[in-house]
Amino acid sequence: MATTATISISSDIAPGFGGISETMTLTQAGTLTDIDSTTGFAIRKLSAASVVDLVTMANELVEPKDSVAAKIYIRNIGYKGVIDKSVHVLIGVKSEPIGRLYGGDWMMMPLTCIDADDVTATPETADTVVLEYVLFYEEA
Amino acid sequence: MATTTAAVTLTSDLLSDNMSVSASTTCMKAGTTADGLDMMEYGYVDIASGTAYDIIGNTPTANKATKLYIKNHSTDETYYISIVLDAQAVGRLYGGDWMFIPTDFHDANADVEITATGGTNKICYALFHEGTTLVAS
Repeated sequence: MATTATISISSDIAPGFGGISETMTLTQAGTLTDIDSTTGFAIRKLSAASVVDLVTMANELVEPKDSVAAKIYIRNIGYKGVIDKSVHVLIGVKSEPIGRLYGGDWMMMPLTCIDADDVTATPETADTVVLEYVLFYEEA
Repeated sequence: MATTTAAVTLTSDLLSDNMSVSASTTCMKAGTTADGLDMMEYGYVDIASGTAYDIIGNTPTANKATKLYIKNHSTDETYYISIVLDAQAVGRLYGGDWMFIPTDFHDANADVEITATGGTNKICYALFHEGTTLVAS
């Protein structure tokens, strides 16, 4: 079965935009071989408006190979079934802000997996929010 | 209200039981619950290898709920593009890979920079946002 990710985007912003529907099979860099490692699915509860490491690369039990084809999926699932689309968690890599995941928003992003390039999360407020995430990578 | 919906289905057999995750979100403007993103940019470009380019020409307003989709449509699996934001390497999209991320364009250097490797990469991108500063002619 491998690891696959399918995206579907629909929008009525631009007349005539037919939407996007694409599937990718996660493979090892430069090959058609399936990607072979994952952190597994995890959740992280955040209750302070301060930056934390969502993924600390140097602490992964199975060392990821650097600068290849890793991907991370992250979703802001709110807290106890309440999803506030007006409040965000800022996702970053190392010290660089990437963007804001509002309640219910999800992202799929490639990663270098270099030890210094941790994935960070900074809630906008101290209200409790939960992120779910899974990292797919190649074993070093 | 303009409505943009992004859905994902993720499946994997790397765990002891098959994993399947589905999620869908309606892309709203920053800090709102009733007003959707209402502007977009959609393109398909060939990127020759070796030179770094900003994929988005007109930078959207900073610190908003902007979403960016990029797919590498190259059919050669050895081709890839490197994604860099504000001098920070983020990762690589090999032929067939896509990404969908929030982007906040928080300062003048926070452009989304891509560099192709292997040959000419074919890149599709879509930016959903709530405003941009157009360049006067």
